[in-house]
Amino acid sequence: MTRKNRRLMLVGGVVLGLGTATVLLFQAFRSTGELFVVPSKIAANAPKGDRAFRLGGMVEAGSLQHLQEGTKPAVEFRVSDGIASVEVKFVGILPDLFREGQGVVTLGKLRPDGTFAAQEVLAKHDENYMPGDMADELKRTGWKPENGAPPAAALWNAAKVGG
Amino acid sequence: MSDVNTASPALPASRNLHRFANPGRFLRLSGRILPPVALIGLALTVAGLVWGLFFSPADWQQHDAVRIMYVHVPAAWLASFGYASLAIASIASLVWRHPLADLAAVEIGPVGAAFTALCLATGSLWGKPMWGAWWVWDARMTSVLVLFFLYLGHIALVRAFDDQQRGYRAGAILALVGVVNLPIIKYSVDWWNTLHQPASITLTGAPTMAPSMLWPLLLVAVGGMFGFAALVTARTRAAVMERRIRALTLAQVRAQA
Amino acid sequence: MTHLPFILAAYGLSIVVVGWLCVDAILRTRRARATLDRIDPRAQR
Repeated sequence: MTRKNRRLMLVGGVVLGLGTATVLLFQAFRSTGELFVVPSKIAANAPKGDRAFRLGGMVEAGSLQHLQEGTKPAVEFRVSDGIASVEVKFVGILPDLFREGQGVVTLGKLRPDGTFAAQEVLAKHDENYMPGDMADELKRTGWKPENGAPPAAALWNAAKVGG
Repeated sequence: MSDVNTASPALPASRNLHRFANPGRFLRLSGRILPPVALIGLALTVAGLVWGLFFSPADWQQHDAVRIMYVHVPAAWLASFGYASLAIASIASLVWRHPLADLAAVEIGPVGAAFTALCLATGSLWGKPMWGAWWVWDARMTSVLVLFFLYLGHIALVRAFDDQQRGYRAGAILALVGVVNLPIIKYSVDWWNTLHQPASITLTGAPTMAPSMLWPLLLVAVGGMFGFAALVTARTRAAVMERRIRALTLAQVRAQA
Repeated sequence: MTHLPFILAAYGLSIVVVGWLCVDAILRTRRARATLDRIDPRAQR
């Protein structure tokens, strides 16, 4: 291969790479780049018709029901954004972090009866990291994980002293 | 010395900068600071990783998987930090035509790309057991993938020209155009809803992380910064020597002809 | 799901990649230094 050809291929590769990058960027950020739609915005932002989309929000406390669909484990729970909530049904294995009070992103379709048939459920982690004994301490002083995020990290020591 | 300074009073800044363009001086100076920088980097990184892997507490819901954070987060910071340093070298290369900045930019590329690849791979290894997915096309992950492509593009572009100067210039322009991606990466988790969680450590607020997890993380991150600087310095030193070898070989060939 | 393989893979991968970068930098410096010492009369200090 001549040097000119090699150069041509390299520059072509760069153009191709950058082009792919740009396409990916716009692909991912189309519809303003949101990954999921929250329950209160379904009417406004979810795709119309029988199309799959991602529904995101918090698993509502007390809404989780374990069921059986044939031999497979199934669950029903409500996904809420604090304003509205949607009933979600899912057959399959849940991620480890799934629980009431956890953020989730589910992929599926809205059925005519207003429930959401999920084919995939992903758990969303929040920005809080804390050791197990700290969580136990907070639970002892009244924090319930299913109701939402723990108090700010700056207050943990106070909780420890108080508890 | 005063003679030299008064000879070109109009260019004090560039004159100062170009003092370091003297390859002999650069090799001497960098040869002196490289060992301590590399040692500090190695010591902090190893200490932080051992702390994070064996002595820091498990997370209350992620359990031991949270330890992936001690490699993933520093890799992610270094990926962005490396690109910022590439942009600074590119400015020095475009504006001052600084020969060392050209070489440094060429050497930052592969190191930055390696840390970006590490960030993506460790993120995947963390995402699968925690979120339930290796990969999702959310704004954070996509923008970091674009950063990886920018590094690859720069690596290819600076080597794509027979005239090295043109390669340096093209690479510098690409690097500067790509800077727009850095704030997108940083704020992607705030601007859009994503699967990736928002930042736990910010300049403005208190960290949302227990100190027993924060300290090892910061140790690895600071150690990584030193390590990154040491790697780029060592590679730039090698590049300076290689350039001198090329020049000497060329001169020999010419003398024989 | 056990997380140990994921943790080990993440740490192993990081050590391999960073270790390779370090070895490459050291070998490259040594090679350049050796060549330079051989052909550069000014290097004989």
